Amino acid sequence: MKNKLEKLRDEFLEGLADIKDLSSLRELELKYISRKGKLSGLLSELKEISADLRREAGEAANSVKREMMEKFDEVRASLEKKAEGGFVDPTVPGEKFESGQLHPITLVRRELEDFFATLGFSVMDGPELESEFYNFESLNVPPHHPARDMQDTFYVDIKNKQGEYDLTMRTQTSNEQVRAMQKYGAPLKAIMPGRVFRCEATDARHEHTFYQLEGVVIDKNINFGHMKNILEAVGKKLYGPDTQLRMRPKFYPFVEPGSNGEYTCFLCQGKGCRVCKQTGWLEILGCGLIHPNVMRAGGIDPEIYSGFAFGFGLNRLVMLKYGIDDIRVFNSGDLRFLKQF
Amino acid sequence: MYLSINWLKDFVKIPKKLTPDELASVLTLHTVEVEGWQAQSETYKQVVVGRVLTVAQHPNADRLRLTTVDVKKETLSIVCGAPNVAVGQKVAVALIGAVLPNGLEIKESEIRGEKSYGMICAQDELGLGTDHEGIMVLNDNAKVGQTFADYLGLKDTTLEIDNKSLSNRGDLWGHYGMARELGALLKAPLLPYPQPDEKLLEAEGKAELSVKIENKKACSRYIAVKIENVKTIESPAWLKERLSAVGARPVNALVDITNYVMLDSGQPLHAFDATGISKLGVRYSKDDEGLETLDGKERMLPEETIVITNNNEPIAIAGIMGGAHSAIKDSTESIIIEAATFDAVAVRKASARLNLRTDASMRFEKTLDPHLPEIAWKRAWQIIKGVFPEARLAGVPVDIINFEMEPVAIAVDFSWLKKSLGKDIGRKDTVGILERLGFTVVIEGNVLMVTAPTWRAVKDVSIKEDILEEAARVIGYNEIPSLPLAATLSQLPDNQEMELERKIQDVLSGTGHLSETYNYSFVSESALTKLHFDVNNYLKLVNPISEQHVYLRQSLLTNMLQNVRTNQFNYPEFGLFEIGRVFLPIAGEYYKDEKGELMPYQGKRLGILVAGPDGNNVFNRAKGLAELMLSSLWPQARIELTVLESSPLWVEKGQAAAISCAGKEIGFTGRLSAEVANAFGLKLKVAYVEINFKELMALYLSLPANQYIEAPKYPPVTRDIAFVVDEKILYNDFWKVLIDFHPLIVKAELFDVYTGAGLGEGMKSLAFHLTYQDKERTLTAEEIDLIQADLIKRCQDKFEAQVRDF
Repeated sequence: MKNKLEKLRDEFLEGLADIKDLSSLRELELKYISRKGKLSGLLSELKEISADLRREAGEAANSVKREMMEKFDEVRASLEKKAEGGFVDPTVPGEKFESGQLHPITLVRRELEDFFATLGFSVMDGPELESEFYNFESLNVPPHHPARDMQDTFYVDIKNKQGEYDLTMRTQTSNEQVRAMQKYGAPLKAIMPGRVFRCEATDARHEHTFYQLEGVVIDKNINFGHMKNILEAVGKKLYGPDTQLRMRPKFYPFVEPGSNGEYTCFLCQGKGCRVCKQTGWLEILGCGLIHPNVMRAGGIDPEIYSGFAFGFGLNRLVMLKYGIDDIRVFNSGDLRFLKQF
Repeated sequence: MYLSINWLKDFVKIPKKLTPDELASVLTLHTVEVEGWQAQSETYKQVVVGRVLTVAQHPNADRLRLTTVDVKKETLSIVCGAPNVAVGQKVAVALIGAVLPNGLEIKESEIRGEKSYGMICAQDELGLGTDHEGIMVLNDNAKVGQTFADYLGLKDTTLEIDNKSLSNRGDLWGHYGMARELGALLKAPLLPYPQPDEKLLEAEGKAELSVKIENKKACSRYIAVKIENVKTIESPAWLKERLSAVGARPVNALVDITNYVMLDSGQPLHAFDATGISKLGVRYSKDDEGLETLDGKERMLPEETIVITNNNEPIAIAGIMGGAHSAIKDSTESIIIEAATFDAVAVRKASARLNLRTDASMRFEKTLDPHLPEIAWKRAWQIIKGVFPEARLAGVPVDIINFEMEPVAIAVDFSWLKKSLGKDIGRKDTVGILERLGFTVVIEGNVLMVTAPTWRAVKDVSIKEDILEEAARVIGYNEIPSLPLAATLSQLPDNQEMELERKIQDVLSGTGHLSETYNYSFVSESALTKLHFDVNNYLKLVNPISEQHVYLRQSLLTNMLQNVRTNQFNYPEFGLFEIGRVFLPIAGEYYKDEKGELMPYQGKRLGILVAGPDGNNVFNRAKGLAELMLSSLWPQARIELTVLESSPLWVEKGQAAAISCAGKEIGFTGRLSAEVANAFGLKLKVAYVEINFKELMALYLSLPANQYIEAPKYPPVTRDIAFVVDEKILYNDFWKVLIDFHPLIVKAELFDVYTGAGLGEGMKSLAFHLTYQDKERTLTAEEIDLIQADLIKRCQDKFEAQVRDF
């Protein structure tokens, strides 16, 4: 056995000495040391040797195999080095990997979700097809309020027992306010991002499908000053530490007092430019102290608890952030847009 | 809505040094949004006084004349179409670059071969009336070269208010209400609203006039007054000027006065020609009732429209527009003034259904104070008497009162005010603010008893939070300090759904290198039909805005196929994914209201779409992406593709599979058929995966966390083996036999599928790497041989599989 092995080795090494290129090296490899090569064939004979001799033969086989492999690797390394010789241009681009992207609204939404999480807010989700009760009535928007106009609200083609349409595509993420109150009660500190709908013809500035982010804080002794504090923090997060908040009265049925919130224009730092229409301020949010009727609809006693709510249009934030001037691109599915983020 | 600053000054003193910018800012920060302001002189920018030097016939047009006009700086050639143009007239000349109130922009032009360098203006072009018969001839004191605004003495400035920001404040829809508000903000006293002397209100004679209100809800107040001995003449200059300043077109004195009082007090008035009117009525419209309105349009009246009738025949649409028949005409000599309060909801509905919004309807739909008609008609009468000294009040006004307003005091605790604002405004200031706004305040210990004025009580003030708002906004929201929130630790559960969604988004946009897309929730009938979906099973919108967006999607595929169309000419191959809700007409998980009825199903789906030139390739990639997503979530879970029991009709025959993970079916995948691809105009081949997010979530919640498995100490043994089977034998069925055959078989990895030469018709070869491993010891060749022999036997029995000899 030992002789056979050594003979094979010598034969292999002789062959190896004559090798001049990698392809003939590969032939030699196949012939002798591959899985189906001569060495494997010989080794399989080990099984047939009687047990007492097998150990010695095994050791010999291992040493021969090792020697063959070492020489083989040496030759291969030197051949490879030779083959690679010559000038290497290190500036040639590397292997091309295709990249994927998240939608820009996902990006900004996550940024805000994570920010609010650091302030102790939970993130909640709710239905997009919503009842008039949660979309309007529970929010202190009585029947026949202008906000319920068919012009603004998509209704779904299912009539209730009274023969009326009472299912809508939610017009605002505020629909989750009362749902959250009913489910979790007070204290409550949550944001609700999501898709909303308005029955409105689309153009560069209007979309019938867009995104909002709603926030609600309810506890004992919550006041207007607390709302300002949180909204100031949001402004600084979005547009930098020098950002100021300006608030002015605005009517929303589900808050009292109601306000809107403007931040210092990030582009001109308040000096006035095209983006802020020369005002120095960007109108970003609506907010207010939660109306007692809304608290009651949510099963929370407004004499014990108070709270505030606020809402942003996410599309607008994304448009400002990336300088997008046509709102329709968000739902276009156009990769020339999607691949930029 | 436009506000004239001069007009506001009739009622409240506005400090001279307050610039229009500052005034706009005061209103914006405390009351309503001012969108902008404009000095009236800007309205007539580039319009100057000129003198007509020569007039000659246009050589190529009978009705046109060639004129030369001196505008002091130069002499202009202007082509003029007015018959009344004459040498020596002083006229208003719009120079090149002027933009007139009707929007007309003046450019250098050539009219029938003759150059014209400006325009001589008619009254209507200047927004000063309806006259278009000829040019407006100015009076003698006009100076050539003077600006037209200077000639008119226009020194007013107008503010433009955002109407939406006024929607809850019906009291601010007139100058007096806005002056009251400014008085409160600027701490300036408010003058009383002008009213005629008692003596002037004495009626002369008796009018045959009655009013009947059939439905009290429709009309809470109706005053009708007959006034005789008036004429349809042009309004005096001051009146026209006021109206023009705020963008209202002067018509004639009678109409203008009613408009003036509306803009003054906020109460819309209507003037009927009194001819033939004696029995007025207020009722809801009947079926098939119509009316020609004063804009000359015949309109069918929608149900529940409030109409004003004479002898039961409609003569006006209440609160919206008068009828043509009873309108003020050139021949009018006596009128009936209507000052009324109509139901806001009915007016709003009718106005929406008629698609007719007027200055009157915009005010009525805000809910007006029923006390207002009284002071409004009196104010109108006062002005009429000023313009027509001969006018007579014919009879005592008919006044129907259908309302009761009991003033209710709202109790507001001072300490509650402070607690809710986070700032102490102080008693004195609080009371001052409220009183300047017209509230009545009585202090009882620590509690303010506040009674809202009628013009606020009708709509927006009824609870203590409303009082809080009044105090806070007058002080200014920006004066309230920012106060850090005391920490309340969140007690709500983690949002695991968001966690899962993010993981999926990350792996698909990362390793999967897909682009995330957002599509509409709505789809079109034509797209559904092309996919062989039955639209009858779809929820739809009652009021869609386009054919493209009518039905509520039940699969993300429909709109993702549109994405393929959008991108196919720019990208030869690509992949997209979307996470979104679908809507089914079955009960879902959300309650409709507190009664416990469930709303339609609206679960989330994950859609993955792969498009490219090769059909097999895209299908493989789609399957691979689904496996990637699942194996990245659960590295140890078994992922299987099995035959889909009922494939959707859009898949290429047989090219669909159900996807299951850890024994649970969670979605499916399929290759789009050539027929559907053609119908959608797709040039690329498409494969699609849809995962039911809720099922995935269930797995996410139920699968135990991965456990670390120590790397095996003993080497695995890998045997390669290929089986020849009928091509109809499914891989997954075969694979399951291999992997489940023996505990020592830990992996069975397909590495080659071959059909063709040497196998025989209808046969295929499946080649596997079979890995055997034991945690406790090294396996011997003998035992593996034994297992493998059994395995081959099993495969022969079950699948008639033959081992293929390489």
